[in-house]
Amino acid sequence: MSRIKITAAFAAAALIALTGCGANAGASTVSGDDFPKKGKSIDLIVAFSSGGAVDTAARLVQPILEKELGTNVEVINKPGAGGQIGYTALTSAKPDGYTIGATGSPSVVVSPLDPARGAKYTRASFQPLGRQVVDPAVIAVQPDSPYKTLKELLDAAKANPKSMTASTTGLQTGEHFALAQIQETTGSEFAPVHFSDGASQATTAFLGKHVDVLVANVSDVTDLTKQGKARVLGIMTAERSPSLPDVPTFKESGYDVEAGTARGYSAPAGLPDAVAKKLEAALQKAIEDPAVKEKMSALGLQTSYLSGADYEKFWAGQEEDFKKALPLVQKKN
Amino acid sequence: MESVVTKPRSTSRVAPSVLTGIGAFTAVGVYVLVSSVGLGLWTSLGPGPGLFPFAMGGVLVAMSALWLVQELRRPSERSEGIDRGVVIAVGVSLVVLASVMDLLGFQLSMFLFLLYHLKLRGGRTWVSSLIIALAGSVGAFYAFNYGLNVALPVSAFAPLNLIGL
Amino acid sequence: MDTLTELLGGFAAAMTWQNLIFAFLGCLLGTIIGVLPGVGPVAGVALLIPLTLNLDPTGSIIMLCAIFYGTQYGGTITSVLLNTPGEASSAITTIDGYAMTKLGRAGAALTLAAVGSFVGGTIATIGLVAAAKPLGELGLLVGPPEFFALMVVGISLLVALAGKSMVKALISGALGLLISMVGIDPVAGAPRFTFGMDRLLDGVSFVAVIVGVFGLSEILSYRKNAETPLVHAPGMRSLLPTRAEWRRSAPAMARGTGVGFGLGLIPGMTGSVSSLLSYAAEKKFSRFRHQLGKGAVEGVAGPETANNAHANAALIPLFTLGIPASPTIAVLMGAFLQQGLTPGPSLFTEHSDIAWAIIASLFIGNLLLLLLNVPLVGLWTSILRVPTPILTALILLFMVIGAYTINFSVFDVFVMIGFGLLGLALRNLDIPLAPMVLTLVLGPLMERSLRESLEISQGDFSVFVNRPISAVLIGLGVLIICSPLLKFRKPKALTEDPEA
Repeated sequence: MSRIKITAAFAAAALIALTGCGANAGASTVSGDDFPKKGKSIDLIVAFSSGGAVDTAARLVQPILEKELGTNVEVINKPGAGGQIGYTALTSAKPDGYTIGATGSPSVVVSPLDPARGAKYTRASFQPLGRQVVDPAVIAVQPDSPYKTLKELLDAAKANPKSMTASTTGLQTGEHFALAQIQETTGSEFAPVHFSDGASQATTAFLGKHVDVLVANVSDVTDLTKQGKARVLGIMTAERSPSLPDVPTFKESGYDVEAGTARGYSAPAGLPDAVAKKLEAALQKAIEDPAVKEKMSALGLQTSYLSGADYEKFWAGQEEDFKKALPLVQKKN
Repeated sequence: MESVVTKPRSTSRVAPSVLTGIGAFTAVGVYVLVSSVGLGLWTSLGPGPGLFPFAMGGVLVAMSALWLVQELRRPSERSEGIDRGVVIAVGVSLVVLASVMDLLGFQLSMFLFLLYHLKLRGGRTWVSSLIIALAGSVGAFYAFNYGLNVALPVSAFAPLNLIGL
Repeated sequence: MDTLTELLGGFAAAMTWQNLIFAFLGCLLGTIIGVLPGVGPVAGVALLIPLTLNLDPTGSIIMLCAIFYGTQYGGTITSVLLNTPGEASSAITTIDGYAMTKLGRAGAALTLAAVGSFVGGTIATIGLVAAAKPLGELGLLVGPPEFFALMVVGISLLVALAGKSMVKALISGALGLLISMVGIDPVAGAPRFTFGMDRLLDGVSFVAVIVGVFGLSEILSYRKNAETPLVHAPGMRSLLPTRAEWRRSAPAMARGTGVGFGLGLIPGMTGSVSSLLSYAAEKKFSRFRHQLGKGAVEGVAGPETANNAHANAALIPLFTLGIPASPTIAVLMGAFLQQGLTPGPSLFTEHSDIAWAIIASLFIGNLLLLLLNVPLVGLWTSILRVPTPILTALILLFMVIGAYTINFSVFDVFVMIGFGLLGLALRNLDIPLAPMVLTLVLGPLMERSLRESLEISQGDFSVFVNRPISAVLIGLGVLIICSPLLKFRKPKALTEDPEA
């Protein structure tokens, strides 16, 4: 008899112990109107590791989204393969609004275009919800580097091809395209090192002087410049960036290169309309929130909101552009 | 060979289970070697997706070969072996449970699973078996659903679903 | 901010009633896992990961860390009372612990083990606090080639120490790496070894693999006629050690802390190595060494202090370099990654609040364990009296729920069953499982750093020997792997390492 008691007590204790962990998320199917269910959390998948610009932006938006939607929003990092692993997870999730993700072009645009990657998604697998920022690409060298200007660096890379290593955040990501475009237009040649988990790994390796040249976005180098840990030589936009007013554009230096990363948020395609509307509205509130905008610009990120529909159009335009540039970053047989 | 004979539990021949194991590891290794070449060991962009698997396939084949040599020179002691009854009972019951869980729902399938292990295999009394099986199925379902907000599957059959299973 | 302010901030975060409850529950569940003979710390921690996925990162990691060191203590209880170690790292404690039980000093043995664990764990955590900043800064020196070399050293040490045959340990390690490669290639994006199954694109779920290989296979290898042991909880009064016992334990605890802390820092060392070497140290240095084996307190206090100091010190390479030192830590690292936290130098720059909260919770957890375990010894022994069939059924129940909740799909339950059978086959072939867990977690990191290194060197493999740090590390790794050829003998105390 006492054995039964003990067993029952143990079973009960174990269950109570587990229920005590109380968290969130109740589960059932979603029709749309009651979205989001109270206590059911929304996963925001970030396809790069923590600490990069995509991750930081998502974490800034997250508290406002929570307030607007009235439920928990969890940022989940799924890094790897230059974003492809996270995008695969996003598009294979149920389109019920409880899984959304940060999407960045060109990685999200390009990965389905190259058959070698075997991506399981296309542009149609995503439902764009809103664009947050456009982050121009930059090129930087170590603070003790002999190269003081863009021209010096590129000429050196032309004279001694592949003598310098340059970081990217993965094959066929924005940085890889930027680097390829530089090489194509200027005839210089670097040895690319692909840090497929994202910008934070690339930056760490640069700080440890394991790579010579950092190809990154404005947001990645704003802090580094202030601390004197990187010397930014050029920015790939039409006009100078307010965050880096002293850095000349490539055009000013005589090279016709423009590149950058555009980031926004998307859901898996097939979202019920009511859910999509709620998410879009909440995202707009969060992205255009003055406090969020201010923190973003402190990081070197200029907010440029686009609605879901406009983001979709922008996406389609990018697809056309990158189709042309794709051969530059594909493997040659 | 003399030293081997003195040990009571060792045999002078390589055990069939060991041979099967070596064969299986070699097969996996060869498969990996072949398919990683297909993935590409080196591309114009640098080390390819097949490089690391290729190395591991190589390690697997090489180590299996070395193991075979070791076994031929000195067969290992035969291990105690396994209780086939336990493996079949636990294995098959788990497979059945996993196969019907989406159909019958967590509560009913887990209740039957626990009852099988407690009453039929374990020989516990009916009272203790029923209490534990109920706590582990219905109790766990509600504890997880409402306490942890972790949803365990409900039955796909409408009649079962309606009565809350 | 200096270390102390950050640590205080960590305490503030760890002392919220919610996080205190997580630490408490973790200690409780960990001790239960430690007491249960079937479920080891590796499977135990893996099993409980899915249940913590819904928590916030701080709470979930606090709980898993508490489970981790809770198991270390729980194992002692069965060692002392039953002469069967609940965990491998407490195996050596059975000798003097059970002898003390026969002498009627079981209560004192458990109390001294708890105090020793507390002392060892706390001192090791202080070490972690002191080492975090300087080591984190050293982290920048660790580029991809050095990172790869560090992992090679860790894996080769584990392979060299695991089991009787290095060949078999290497097979185990290679299998782990191959399993970790299933899914989308982390660099170029091509699917690998997915056999056309979309479900495998995200890889084989690591929790399902570990629960299967370590947990289920253990249950499958149970013999039918196992009997429920008879245990008696020591009375409350006998829990207090005598003054002489205290006096004799103190130096043993000091030695145990030293051994455990030192070995815990080295990747590839398991807690059992620490407790075995600590026992060896007592045999050599203790004033009462002639009494060892006949119920000497040193034989309990030393190893138990050592394995807890080891467990907490092993968190240092994890937190500062992102290298898991032992299989259990590797599972813990898997949990970090699932929460979006990458252990390593960046942990303190990007999530310093979480990192310090976890470190603070280690102090709290060690204290909780001390307060919890000794008075509750009656509860722990009653768990041991639960008949085997009921335990088996309940453990299977938790395994199925754990596997199901990873992705809310029956697929992972099948994965767990499959790997349970694989684990059984490996056990039967005498292939150690520990290297497999380590490589399973390290696989993607190793592959990435290898490929990054080769991109830095533009395809030249000499990059690993041209850089001083990685050259030394690779040299060490080669030396370790070749040690049998060079006729280096493992220390005798290690040949029977049961954890490996």
